[in-house]
Amino acid sequence: MASEAPVSEQHAIDAVLAGDQAAWDVLVNRFSGPLWSAVRAYDLSAADAADAVQGAWLRLVESLHTIRDPDRIGPWLFTTAKREASLLSRRNRGERLISDPAGTEHSHSDPALAGHVHPDPAVAVLTADEGRRLWLAVEEMHEPCRSLFRLMATAPDAGVHQLAGRLGMPSGSYGPTRGRCLNRLRTVLTAQEATP
Amino acid sequence: MTRHPPAIDDESLIAALRLSAGQDPVPAHVSAAARAVFGLRLPGAATARPVVTPAPRGVRSADEARLLRFTAAELTVDLEVTSMDGLVDLAGQVSPSPEAGTRVEVRTLHLTESRELSATGQFAVTGLPPGWFSVVCHRPERSPVVTSWTRIRP
Repeated sequence: MASEAPVSEQHAIDAVLAGDQAAWDVLVNRFSGPLWSAVRAYDLSAADAADAVQGAWLRLVESLHTIRDPDRIGPWLFTTAKREASLLSRRNRGERLISDPAGTEHSHSDPALAGHVHPDPAVAVLTADEGRRLWLAVEEMHEPCRSLFRLMATAPDAGVHQLAGRLGMPSGSYGPTRGRCLNRLRTVLTAQEATP
Repeated sequence: MTRHPPAIDDESLIAALRLSAGQDPVPAHVSAAARAVFGLRLPGAATARPVVTPAPRGVRSADEARLLRFTAAELTVDLEVTSMDGLVDLAGQVSPSPEAGTRVEVRTLHLTESRELSATGQFAVTGLPPGWFSVVCHRPERSPVVTSWTRIRP
């Protein structure tokens, strides 16, 4: 799904602003897959993930004219989708949102207005080569991290209980173990970046 | 959390692993909906943004109905959202009272319902599918006002 085709040409964005559906479809084809993965990582159901992705596209339509730099569209979409996903995930876990008295997700969701666009959302720019490098790093990890990551990536709809069971650990250990494994992987990747 | 800003967050790292594993492709209907979103743009419309409303006065409990308020420069749209049997009902008030001939459209990703506003600026739409919606106020000879997209799940 990773694509290396940049969608950064100003004329493509101008075409979208001028109402060119084909130019919009290019954006959708470029970012749909990575956006889906980005929101699913918040342990959302397929229906909630679809809502989060749709929310990002709707807000882009709403805010397109305010995004001057075409290079910001990808980061903007990811920041917005991740924020929607995070809201949904917290709501599913039963956390009441103080800024959300109506039980709806709409406030403060425009990162362009809030100025919170992440400069480098790695998923947006993940190339096939980088994906392979990521999995090579995983293959060199010790257990349980290697099996945990393989399972997590190949069983996207499995719940914590099921994942923990297949890894032979108590359900309560899955989250903390995953957190430690992610930290370890991050350290490996950072070291690789430092010594290319 | 002493992480430096450029470091990839947990969810992005998980997403990168899953994306490159290719086992959870984006469903076709999600991409199709994203393409269709472009047909919902309203160039030239003023966006009414959500504002936090004070606790409602009167007898109604906030548990029964969700109250939403959206404001643009010269127009306020108040919405009361209720849900029944998995569908969503909206009762709305546009203020100040709009001129005659003002029409309201309630848009979702799947359908659009059009209503003539009452003389006092009220409208209602029932049986909407849950999910994202937005209300457009079409005024004669003036640019439309549209509420920013809001998600409702009963």
